Amino acid sequence: MKLFGSRFEQIASIVRKDFLIGLRRRAAWAAMMMFALTAAAALSLSTGGIFIEEKFLAAIFWVVIFFAASAGVASTFEDEASAGTLPTLKLYAEAQAILFGKMIYVFLSLVALTIFILPIFLILFDVAVKNFFLLLATIFFGLIGISAAGTLTAALTTSASVKGGLFTVLLFPITLPIFLPAISLTEISFSGGAFESSSLVVAAIFDLILMTAASILYDYL
Amino acid sequence: MIVFDNVSLSFGRRELFKNISLELRGGKIFGIVGKNGAGKSTFLKLAGKILRPDSGTINFPPEKKIAAVTPEMKIYDNLTARENLFFFAKLRGKNLSDEKIFELGGRVGLDMKSFGDVRTENFSTGMRQRLKFAILLSVAADIWLLDEPTANLDDDGREKFFCEIQAAKSEKIILLATNESAEENFCDEIIRLPL
Repeated sequence: MKLFGSRFEQIASIVRKDFLIGLRRRAAWAAMMMFALTAAAALSLSTGGIFIEEKFLAAIFWVVIFFAASAGVASTFEDEASAGTLPTLKLYAEAQAILFGKMIYVFLSLVALTIFILPIFLILFDVAVKNFFLLLATIFFGLIGISAAGTLTAALTTSASVKGGLFTVLLFPITLPIFLPAISLTEISFSGGAFESSSLVVAAIFDLILMTAASILYDYL
Repeated sequence: MIVFDNVSLSFGRRELFKNISLELRGGKIFGIVGKNGAGKSTFLKLAGKILRPDSGTINFPPEKKIAAVTPEMKIYDNLTARENLFFFAKLRGKNLSDEKIFELGGRVGLDMKSFGDVRTENFSTGMRQRLKFAILLSVAADIWLLDEPTANLDDDGREKFFCEIQAAKSEKIILLATNESAEENFCDEIIRLPL
């Protein structure tokens, strides 16, 4: 129990530290928010007046989230590596605590991003959500998947010479199995159609698989 | 005790260590000395299991914890001195009170009343080194890896540093890589590289 207590404290400390630095630097957060806002506004203006099916709206929403997340998540390890603090962190904290600390920070950042962009998206594209609970549940599981995949990919690409490009190239195929059900469920939440609760269970299972894979692989990095 | 058993390590064609066998026991300060490029920093990384040898084994009890002051290991520029100290101590399960932080500052010659709430990006190199030194003293550790720890310290800083490591050595294994011949006098045993 002491081991878990100690690891939990380490995770909490890393999340708190990353938030403090994130709030002071603001660069990664600003990049995510601005990317999401610009993409949503540009797409809305270019499609102004045209009827867009719920399926396409759902796809646009997740594309905006994916690329905005890519702009911010990659920096979670990159900033530590370039500042020279990663070796210090690795010395004093357990590897798993670093991974899950970073993962939780990324997840909370993406929640903040979604809280910012979702109302703007709904207004810009004039979407009336029929099943709000389903939308929230889909976003919740989708963001967990992006956080797990994004954190592991960020850790993998930290030492690569072309970090930014490699990060997005690697992240896309890993997150694709999250996006397909997420887009489908988001469409249903917009249109109000019937949905199988098993779809959410599948999304949750995939998140669990991603987190487990990240946990196992991180020890070898 | 850290035990090197037939340890070899090469970088490309350069053989840095060949079949080294030695024991590093607690209660001593081991001075790791040698010319530039002799492998002092690499030796510390091997001893701390930060680097793996090409062959041979390095054993130390798995429950032993390491703390280090090395040029590669940086502190967080966007955090204050107090926040840095609190964060690293917390990672090792210690809650530092304000009194303890002031006390640590005093031991390393860093006025925490004036500089405790200043972000370390505004610190001089010497002040950062003193803060790294305070972090070293604050975290729970059995092994200290010190790579040219006094490089940016003034005379007062060096005196405080050696006073502290002498006081702490009975409970720890201390490895000190240095280029300063005067610092060899503070060591109990010298490991001269190349071996």
